Amino acid sequence: MKASYNWLKEIADFSLLPKELAHALTMAGFEVEGLEEIEGDIILDINVTPNRPDCLSITGLGREISAILEVPFKNKAVNIQKQEGKGPEVEIKNSQLCNRYASRIISGVKVAPSPEWLVKRLETHGFRTSYNIVDVTNYVLLEMGQPLHAFDLDKLADKRIVVKISDSEETFHTLDNEDRKLSKDTLLIWDSEKPVALAGIMGGLNTEVSLSTVNVLLESACFHPASIRRTSKSLNVSSESSYRFERGIDIENVVKALDMAAQMIIEISGGRVSGLTDNYPRHHASKQIIVQHEKINALLGIRIEESFLQNIMSRLGFEIKRAGEKFIVIPPSFRQDVQLDIDVIEEIARLYGYEKIPATLPSIRMQPSPRNERRDLIKSVKNSMAKSGFSEAINYSFINPEILNNLNIPSEDKRRNFILIKNPLRKEELAMRTNLIPALLNNVSLNLNRGEKIIHLFEVSSIFLHSDQKLPNEIIQLTAVCVKDKTASLWKTKHDGFYDIKGVLENLFNELKIREYYLESDKALLEPYLHPGKSCSIMISDEKLGSLGMIHPRVLEAFDIRADVGILEISNLERLQEYRHYKTEFVSLPKFPYVERDIAVIVPMDMTAEKIKREISSIDSDIIETVNLFDIYTGKPIAEDKKSLAFSIRYRASDRTLTDEEVDALHFIIIERLKDTLNAELRS
Amino acid sequence: MLNDIQTIKNLAREEIEKAHSLKTVHELKIKYLGKKGIFTHKIKSLGLIPQEDRREYGRILNETKNYIEELLAKYENSFKTLELNKTLQTQRIDVTAPGYCIPAGHVHPTTQVLDEIISIFTSLSFNVEEGPEVELDFYNFEALNMHKDHPARDMQDTFYITEDIVLRTHTSSVQVRIMEKTAPPLRVIAPGKVYRCDADVTHIPMFHQLEGFMVDKHVKMSDLKGVLEVFIHMIFGPDTKLRFRPSFFPFTEPSAEIDISCVICKGVGCNVCKNTGWLEILGAGMINPRIFEMAGYAPDQYTGFAFGMGIERIAMLKYGIDDIRLFYENDKRFLEQF
Repeated sequence: MKASYNWLKEIADFSLLPKELAHALTMAGFEVEGLEEIEGDIILDINVTPNRPDCLSITGLGREISAILEVPFKNKAVNIQKQEGKGPEVEIKNSQLCNRYASRIISGVKVAPSPEWLVKRLETHGFRTSYNIVDVTNYVLLEMGQPLHAFDLDKLADKRIVVKISDSEETFHTLDNEDRKLSKDTLLIWDSEKPVALAGIMGGLNTEVSLSTVNVLLESACFHPASIRRTSKSLNVSSESSYRFERGIDIENVVKALDMAAQMIIEISGGRVSGLTDNYPRHHASKQIIVQHEKINALLGIRIEESFLQNIMSRLGFEIKRAGEKFIVIPPSFRQDVQLDIDVIEEIARLYGYEKIPATLPSIRMQPSPRNERRDLIKSVKNSMAKSGFSEAINYSFINPEILNNLNIPSEDKRRNFILIKNPLRKEELAMRTNLIPALLNNVSLNLNRGEKIIHLFEVSSIFLHSDQKLPNEIIQLTAVCVKDKTASLWKTKHDGFYDIKGVLENLFNELKIREYYLESDKALLEPYLHPGKSCSIMISDEKLGSLGMIHPRVLEAFDIRADVGILEISNLERLQEYRHYKTEFVSLPKFPYVERDIAVIVPMDMTAEKIKREISSIDSDIIETVNLFDIYTGKPIAEDKKSLAFSIRYRASDRTLTDEEVDALHFIIIERLKDTLNAELRS
Repeated sequence: MLNDIQTIKNLAREEIEKAHSLKTVHELKIKYLGKKGIFTHKIKSLGLIPQEDRREYGRILNETKNYIEELLAKYENSFKTLELNKTLQTQRIDVTAPGYCIPAGHVHPTTQVLDEIISIFTSLSFNVEEGPEVELDFYNFEALNMHKDHPARDMQDTFYITEDIVLRTHTSSVQVRIMEKTAPPLRVIAPGKVYRCDADVTHIPMFHQLEGFMVDKHVKMSDLKGVLEVFIHMIFGPDTKLRFRPSFFPFTEPSAEIDISCVICKGVGCNVCKNTGWLEILGAGMINPRIFEMAGYAPDQYTGFAFGMGIERIAMLKYGIDDIRLFYENDKRFLEQF
């Protein structure tokens, strides 16, 4: 709400400078967001909260300022000198939606542009100007907070007004020259034949005041806030009028505003004013609120004197009476927001000054706080990922469904079954995401394009899947992406990127004490966006927990990424809870030394290290401590369809120092076993 | 005979002192002290010495042998040191070349600030709770005293899934959810993502908030001031000033907006605080008894306060970040600064 400093001074008798006034308003709940100097005046930009529609006018703000500063409020008196004839004929059919409708006819007006002072006032307050009649209605709206409408009387069939809801769907042409499709039950203003205005929102083109208008019907009404808001929302049209009606206007101010406008019109454009028609089917009932003095003190943590209390209430125009230990408070008609004792207490706090309320610390009963296991898990995961060199990314929860085409995800996949957003602003916000991969691949692409070469990012966020409940399933996922530097670098490692991301998984599960997992390359479980030769599923007892691997080159192409990307995905992080070992059990340190022997075997290409390891471990002996792969070799002199795997085996007994003979004998058994069962050749 | 030993001693000394390498020292060691060395020979022929002289002769012979041994050891040692130093010199590397390490990753600044705020409130014995991001209109609005036609809904642009389901516009949606399943006293914080549908390019459609609330018998507005003062002093430093001013939220009454003295200019006035010296940082108030009614609490038995804050705003002030859009672009040069 824009308000002129000079105009406010006409209403409230204060002497503060504009900046001081702005501070006083801000500290009383009316945040002043800006001060702008315009031609010798200062326009204050005041944030009027939705509960205070009474301050959506200069008079309302002036009244509030007089209460805040304890200065006189100069309420303008309005009276119409001369009235001729009867007021217009008005019928209200839906009195619950229109609680009051006051009107007068002004005949013999001369429609013309407005005088300069009027134009200036409207323009500095952000209003567009029109003809004098319309400008006066806006001026009064601005000064009094009462929306008004002027009809061309001669265009109203039978010069009659009916207020009622539509009983069928209608198309209505509003004066902003738009066809509005109205649903049934929209509150409209009618003449004898047709709708002439969207009640409280906007007039119709059919009865608009124009240069040829001679007689006008002036409307000053009070409509039900929720009804106006519903119509305004459904038609997506709002106006200065609807803004105020939605929040609630002062029903007791309706006639005064009408008269002020009528008086101004005859002063500016000439004409004669008719008698008043005041249809007021639902009278304002003043509310009595009981407030306990002790409750005020207890809730605010202050001790306020009764005299100060009385003072605050009367400054705000509230009546206050003592009734034994209690007060009976009656708010004025313009304060519809004050309904409960708590609302009164807020008013007292506001004028008492929030600054004067002390700062105390509550005394509490001690209680153990439950552990938030979900948060603990997420925190451990994030810390483990950071230790592995990954930085946390956070992306928006939205997705453009089409991007899953880039991931080759088939149409029947549940990740294609999106929670759609009804009112998206951009195509990237069409739906809630069902996985984190596209966003992270876009992050990779952005970073590569900005010249970064090493990228290690992860995200832990919710994804959204349909459920059989009212609300979707929100599932926490972890996805990590990894790009290693392929260009010359100082300390080079030449292993496949797959092992980098696999190492991250190993670290993570080690940190979480998850031990029983295994990797499965069964094709039926593999993700379509992964490299078929460099990917696998992460499994625990037949349950797939996620995937690990390199991104498929086709997918990289679709995301315009010119680098190999490794990816780790845990599709439901909270499933890990079940497999975590929380207990740490100490194992005594070995008392005897170990003996280490290496073994290198030549095996077919599709033989896995895991298989060989398992074969070795399966030998019935309690002195094989660990089996570690330390080299994979292909190339000459080994045949093209074969590879050499080298293991280092550590032997140790818990009760004695091993002898060479003992170890050699077992080592020989191992070699023979690998030859027999896996067709391995010993590499010399 | 004794002269003979003296001569050998002199000769040996002369030769050792002239030695120019470890190898020569070793050769001399063999020559004098080796199995076939001069001294070994002398000791073996000790039997040929007359009985009465043997003792004296033996003593001198031994003394001389020790002397030569020590001298040899001294020279051997100094040549060894010399040679080691030479080797160490050849092993010299460029210490200014970068070290080999896998640099640790960085947790997102939003997470870091959230964790800090959470630890402050848990130290004040608040519990952490969470609620869904896709939320019923009921918990996001209705239960917070914002019915469908309430103009306060204009304060927040809402993403809708259906008529009754929204992307939560604030973490206040957690309030009634928790109250419904927990009896007072309550001290809860609820962090999380929230969504606003705003066409303005400088706004982002998703950000983070933290809601906090306390419900008990005799909770006062002065307690709200006290708790928030502790929090602000812990996160922005004890010199930060707070300013409480009236505001409006449908779910609190009285409502307050809390400003802090500008952390950038210390209240003098700058771009960040638009020359006011103050920064708006929190919304708060005493929980409206209507919310207690919604949650099934006896409204005349309990009072409570609630507050909410934007995490990115606090992170921006803490780190001096000037563009909120940087948070979720995920440029690693941004992420790795925190």
